[in-house]
Amino acid sequence: MIDIVLKDMWSPIIFISIVLLNLLIVYWLYKMGNSDYKKTKHSGEPFISGNRPPGDVRRVHVAGDNLFWGFRDALKQYFDPLIKGHTGSINDYMYWIVITLAVVLVYIYMVV
Amino acid sequence: MTWDTLVTNSPTFILGIPLLFAFLTALSGRFSKKIGDTLFFIALIATAFFVSLMSYEVLTGESWFYVFGAEQPSPENIRSFFRITFAADGFAVLATITIMITAVAAGIYSYGFMKFETGLNKFYTLFLLTLAGVNGMVLTGDLFNLFVWFEVTSVASCALVAFKNYRGESVEAALKYMILSTVGGLVILFSIGLLYGQHGVLNYALLREGITGSFIDKLALGLVMVILAMKASSVPMHMWAPDAYGEAPGSVTPFIAITSLGSLFVLFRLLFSVFSLTVVSGSILIILGTLSMIIGVSMALVQSDLKRLIAYLSVSQVGYMMMAVGVGLATLNTGDYDSFGELAMQGGLFHMINDGVYKALLFLSAVAVVHVTDIRSLNDLGGLAHKMPYVTFFFLLGALSIAGIPPLSGFSSKLLIYKSVYLYSPILAIVALVVSIITLAIIGKAFFNAFLGPDQGLVKRRVSKTMLLGMGILTVALVLFTLFPNIVVTEVVTPAIDALTETFEGVIP
Repeated sequence: MIDIVLKDMWSPIIFISIVLLNLLIVYWLYKMGNSDYKKTKHSGEPFISGNRPPGDVRRVHVAGDNLFWGFRDALKQYFDPLIKGHTGSINDYMYWIVITLAVVLVYIYMVV
Repeated sequence: MTWDTLVTNSPTFILGIPLLFAFLTALSGRFSKKIGDTLFFIALIATAFFVSLMSYEVLTGESWFYVFGAEQPSPENIRSFFRITFAADGFAVLATITIMITAVAAGIYSYGFMKFETGLNKFYTLFLLTLAGVNGMVLTGDLFNLFVWFEVTSVASCALVAFKNYRGESVEAALKYMILSTVGGLVILFSIGLLYGQHGVLNYALLREGITGSFIDKLALGLVMVILAMKASSVPMHMWAPDAYGEAPGSVTPFIAITSLGSLFVLFRLLFSVFSLTVVSGSILIILGTLSMIIGVSMALVQSDLKRLIAYLSVSQVGYMMMAVGVGLATLNTGDYDSFGELAMQGGLFHMINDGVYKALLFLSAVAVVHVTDIRSLNDLGGLAHKMPYVTFFFLLGALSIAGIPPLSGFSSKLLIYKSVYLYSPILAIVALVVSIITLAIIGKAFFNAFLGPDQGLVKRRVSKTMLLGMGILTVALVLFTLFPNIVVTEVVTPAIDALTETFEGVIP
């Protein structure tokens, strides 16, 4: 008989109920806010630190390679060989299968 | 034909219907496209019906073994008894349900996605052959049939990857996949030959009785294990997966990924039900699983191609399943199995059905993005949420689930994995947690880049209703798994574990 079961650890229904309750409280706080706010013609426009971004706002979007650039640069010694190892060559794919096969067989014969 | 006959023969129909309709759809191309479309959907719905029928019977009644072609064997003639046997048990139910959910969603999605392609009847044929092959792999109860279905799946899925043969990349990816699958098939055939030479039988149950851990048994175990791990896209043999997933026609990408999951199902079946060398197999699974998690997520981090990014994340998710089931296997027949081994099995197998669904949802929503923009690079995408609200929602749901964010179903299975693996080795649990955090960061990057920000006017065409319906089906499944994880674990996952851990009776009456 299993000692630990999922229902003792986690109930999504309770979690979702608490989230909904929180959303209700947030909505209540929102309704208590300033009710005489008026939308202006500049409302909803993109901005950076309170200022309108220079040039075409569509170019301001941060592109994929820019995200986690620092993380990748700091771990260059780990990522560079990893990327280099993924050559796309079928010969290398076969080498990896042969190497894994050899290691697994040696492990099985050593352990059992 | 009575209801009982339909139920008893449901494993035959699960294979027979897609096989028959595969040939009919090929022929229909000579007459009309509409006939092909109709036949394809009839085949999908009928196969899903028989999977439901078999599942209901197994989960509410009992498992049975289907023997093709002759009367049941007796204990006297059992060793000379050569028949095709199928196991309709809890594990087959878990596997076929996972496969069918993705197949139905991908099939419906394909109708909208592929409508401007030519040769659709051939596409339907290949789709249905792959479906028959992967269902056959998880249902069969003997090794030679496993090889046959393995080959059917490999050939049909290779052709599916190369379906858009006017793209050089697709043909190259299919060629790589075909070479690896062919070598894999030959190695499996060689190991089957070794086992047959040693024991004189091919049936799982009879093999299990004979396997004692001899030199030949160990060699066969190593060969089968490595090849099935390769087909499941485990590191370091995962490199074909991003190529194949990235270059297959978008609508069948999740279906190609499901054939990998099918290989993982078969690997688990063989390790539990045929090879009794549980400790060594368990530890190998744990090592390969941990490597897959780390390398998969690391490579996903440096991708800017949306489909390849998800492909590497799927490699990482395979690692979770291998690690969790590895812990269950390594602790089997020890006191630790009751303490946390079975919990790890629950987590691993629940993660398989979860992964089948949310990975398919992620792939299909990513394909919808590529379909409407003709752009795959995250560097060039942005602001799609303005014009594609439904796809944004589907992608977000799949993304949060793969990252294991509560309350989504990915969290439920990962929680089971963290908890159980921690009791086995805290370091492994920490690795799993860190990988999950990095997955969240990566998926956040993909979502931010593709969907958020100002509208850049990239949308060139609409996502068709059938494509939305395909994603909708997966979303319904995901929501159900999210709201009722305890029911899934108790009613579907636990019978699968019982089928694996109790002695596999095969054809023995």
